[in-house]
Amino acid sequence: MADAPLSGIRIADFTWVWAGPYCTLQLAHLGADVIRIETATRPCVTRMLPPWPGGKPAGLDSSGYYNQYNQGKRSLSLNFSKPGALDLARRLVAKSDVVVNNFAHGVMDRLGLGYEELKKIRSDIIMISLSGYGDTGPYSDFVAYGPAQVPLCGLSALTGYVGGPPMHAGYSYADPNAGVHGAFAILTALYHRELTGQGQYMDMSQWECAMAVLPEGILEYTMNGREPERIGNRDPMMAPHGIFRCKDRTEKVLGFTVDQFVAVAASDNAAWQRMAAAIGRPELAGDSRFATLNARKANETELEAIVEAWSMTQTAPQAAQILQDAGVAAFVVADNKFLSEEDEHLKARNYFVNLPHPVVGVRQHCGIPWKMSETPLAVRSSAPLLGQHTDEVLAQVLGLSEAEIKTLREAGALQ
Amino acid sequence: MAGALARLKVVEIGELVSAPYAAKLMADMGAEVIKVERPGAGDAARTRGPFPGGKPHPGQSGLFLYLNANKYGVTLDIAQPEGFELLEELAAGADVLIHNVWPPDMDRVGLNFDRLARRNPRLVMTSITPFGTTGPHRSWRSEDLTTWSSGGVCVLNGAGPGHPELPPLKAFGSHAGFQAGVHGAVATMGAVFARLRSGKGQHVEVSAQESLVSQNEMVFEYWPYMDVIATRLGRKPLQPLETMQCKDGWIYICCVEEHQWRSFVALMGNPEWADEEIFADRLKRGENWEALEIFLREWVGEQTVLDLYRKAQAQRVPFAPVSTMGDLLNSEHLKARGFFVELAHPVAGQHRYPGAPVQYGATPWQIRMPAPALGQHNGEIFGQRLGLARERLDQLNARG
Repeated sequence: MADAPLSGIRIADFTWVWAGPYCTLQLAHLGADVIRIETATRPCVTRMLPPWPGGKPAGLDSSGYYNQYNQGKRSLSLNFSKPGALDLARRLVAKSDVVVNNFAHGVMDRLGLGYEELKKIRSDIIMISLSGYGDTGPYSDFVAYGPAQVPLCGLSALTGYVGGPPMHAGYSYADPNAGVHGAFAILTALYHRELTGQGQYMDMSQWECAMAVLPEGILEYTMNGREPERIGNRDPMMAPHGIFRCKDRTEKVLGFTVDQFVAVAASDNAAWQRMAAAIGRPELAGDSRFATLNARKANETELEAIVEAWSMTQTAPQAAQILQDAGVAAFVVADNKFLSEEDEHLKARNYFVNLPHPVVGVRQHCGIPWKMSETPLAVRSSAPLLGQHTDEVLAQVLGLSEAEIKTLREAGALQ
Repeated sequence: MAGALARLKVVEIGELVSAPYAAKLMADMGAEVIKVERPGAGDAARTRGPFPGGKPHPGQSGLFLYLNANKYGVTLDIAQPEGFELLEELAAGADVLIHNVWPPDMDRVGLNFDRLARRNPRLVMTSITPFGTTGPHRSWRSEDLTTWSSGGVCVLNGAGPGHPELPPLKAFGSHAGFQAGVHGAVATMGAVFARLRSGKGQHVEVSAQESLVSQNEMVFEYWPYMDVIATRLGRKPLQPLETMQCKDGWIYICCVEEHQWRSFVALMGNPEWADEEIFADRLKRGENWEALEIFLREWVGEQTVLDLYRKAQAQRVPFAPVSTMGDLLNSEHLKARGFFVELAHPVAGQHRYPGAPVQYGATPWQIRMPAPALGQHNGEIFGQRLGLARERLDQLNARG
């Protein structure tokens, strides 16, 4: 077997929260040596957020949020307010191929770690900033948070129940979107550097990056001057196309009933006809109210009621299986328990990672969403404890002696 | 200056969003992309719009034009032996073949890496499918809604605990496709980079479902860490993080850090209720959201969007407007950065499109040519590139 694609590539990872760590997670998945520069004096927000084992916070190493997005990375703790720490960061950059950060615009410059400075340390350095608004423009100093990017980028205005107000996407979608686009940009720049020897700086606005995946809404406006209506789970080209209630989970979780749904998309007339038979209503296949897409769209509320009358008699996995057996696109509206324990497909593909972690033990984490036939890929280690690799990185990568490390530690530079 | 990927030759067999977006990301950085479509109907994205004037036309779909600019367009029926042979010819001269052919169709036409690698062992072949090419769901059918639902993200969105009767709500758009596409582009570039050293190609397979499960924020881990199922009905642990109506539109109220909340309280004129113990920290504000919400909605309802947005930002509080498409196209910030690009197309006319997701310092992101008409470059690619004679081309055309 060959080496992992990015083996030997080192990433100086100044990121935090989600977008940046999601970016460098992709590079860790590809085998890069990702070194997160952290500090106990202002720990990554995700180290302080739930979920925690048993629901009880237990220090900075116990969050499932942090532990998910920092698998396979090393952690170096540096306190930039102490002498010596910044110098160590600069020396690390000299030994790195790529520098990544998702601070607000200007923060790296103020630290003395801006691109122009870093280029002096390593002329072919590749650097990317994943800021909310980008480096230029009148709002470049505005602050951005993951959840607020969903409304900012236009996704909220487009998303909502029919006739209802704008809604969220349910999670900070623009964050991982920015992170994975950033990883693509870094790989592109690494490829270019490999061929030409030239590094570069890349400026990502997470806002813009989110609009790059919203062409349908934006082009409705630029082509027709119209704001698209909110259409819930419907689709202009398919019907039925929706999310339908099924039987609740039989087991209660924390004393609560958990409702369950199946998502269904009848891609064309033939799929609808197969579906009608599968839900025990073969007579509807020839019913003129539903014979064509136009007819089904015109009678969509009635059609949805028919589908839901059937789906309510099924569990969500049963409903999905029955429709798939009939060749109709359908899936359980998967929740975390379903994915973790009940999706036989993900199990069969060995998608999940179960590595021991010194504080939280073995916890199931999400793995690598791609497979490669010739280069080994595996999540190499659980997420690092804060500063877990400080000595290792200082000694192995920067060549510091034990005495030098001790002095720095006593000066508080390694907090 | 040439793009970073100008030396890469990519063949795409893509429908709708996932594989076409992966190939677009590469094309916009300079790669040569030859897009293979089915004779007759072509890529299904051609049917999806939005269309100028709302009138469906296979050459005027906004989604298609956005995803397929910078690509050469050819038609091939790869289910026919002659069609597959031509595909093999194209793949023999390519660095990357990227596709989203449904796995049972891959089996049926014999589209697999081993076969293509016999002629081109340096080929990177990327298969982007809803559930991957292996496993019990490999043959399951899926559309964007069902893939999105399979990824554990759809279940999180909805009207919240106040409206349990409303179902989970899909985010507008084709995000299962886009996320599969960009994750596929990352994996493809990983394999291309590996090939610089090994000289060998390989098969890369990308699961859209897994790409989405990988981005469940902290939510997936609520099960393995806490035995908690997270759904749209769950309470947000921190507040305020909520869309609220102003006099003239909607704004997103967002205070994550305590200093942001204190600045917001000051902005509201330090009302007495803000001193209540039940609002003392972000977790308490989450627990007592129903009480807090009443106060906030009342105050926010008296404001205007832009004024509140700018005032909050001046205090480093990360509020954001609920942007309409018009707001985006007219944004002074986006204009100054030149995000939207004007692109003329011979059939669809001139429109503004979303531009570069990343601004590169040294290697340009560029739109060099508009999206192809169906089979527009058959003569150029099959004739000039592969050296097919005119009569042979006519013969093949006649047989589809």
